[in-house]
Amino acid sequence: MENTIKVERAILNLTQDDLAKKIGVSRQTINSIEANRYVPSTVLALKLSNVFDKPVNEFFTLSEDDY
Amino acid sequence: MNTEKRIDCERKGLLKISNFRLPHHFMTVGLAIALLSVLMMFIRAFVLDGELEWLKLLLQKTLLVGMLIMSLSKDKIEDEMTMGLRSQSYAIAFIVGVIYSLVMPYVEYGVSNVVHSGGEVYKDLGDFQVLLFMLMIQLMFYHTLKRYR
Repeated sequence: MENTIKVERAILNLTQDDLAKKIGVSRQTINSIEANRYVPSTVLALKLSNVFDKPVNEFFTLSEDDY
Repeated sequence: MNTEKRIDCERKGLLKISNFRLPHHFMTVGLAIALLSVLMMFIRAFVLDGELEWLKLLLQKTLLVGMLIMSLSKDKIEDEMTMGLRSQSYAIAFIVGVIYSLVMPYVEYGVSNVVHSGGEVYKDLGDFQVLLFMLMIQLMFYHTLKRYR
């Protein structure tokens, strides 16, 4: 799975720490999600969707390995 | 109470048990108990005189309790990723612990026979040794996984 959280975060001018606080996780978790080392749960993805005000599939996309 | 409600109640109970964690400050409490136990073990072995088997057994128990408290205490920021890493570390500790308890007695037996001719008789590991090893592996893997997340 790939994501564009870093871009979305930059659009809103948020640091990793700001975003982490908004959705109630640690900064390291945001870092791991951005680096594709961790796939978040649906709840967390929907929280991110609320912050970015976009549907989840606009910033999370399946990669070739997922098929 | 019908079957569905009973199943739901059991499920909630199980979730409550599996999600049980102590507050973050218990990490310090657990660490203090564990360190104090180790320190007292050294004092018992090298300073105190006399047959103090009861103290040795007591200190073994307090060391395990301290490490269990450390293992159960939450992180400063506990989120789904840390919960996942914790589950992973418990799984690793369980598997490594079982392998250790199966293999280690033979290693000890083999080494003792190589070092001293005749050697020791074969004996299984004690509960303290296995539990201490599993808790050590869990804590070590959890903190390592967290560092490399």
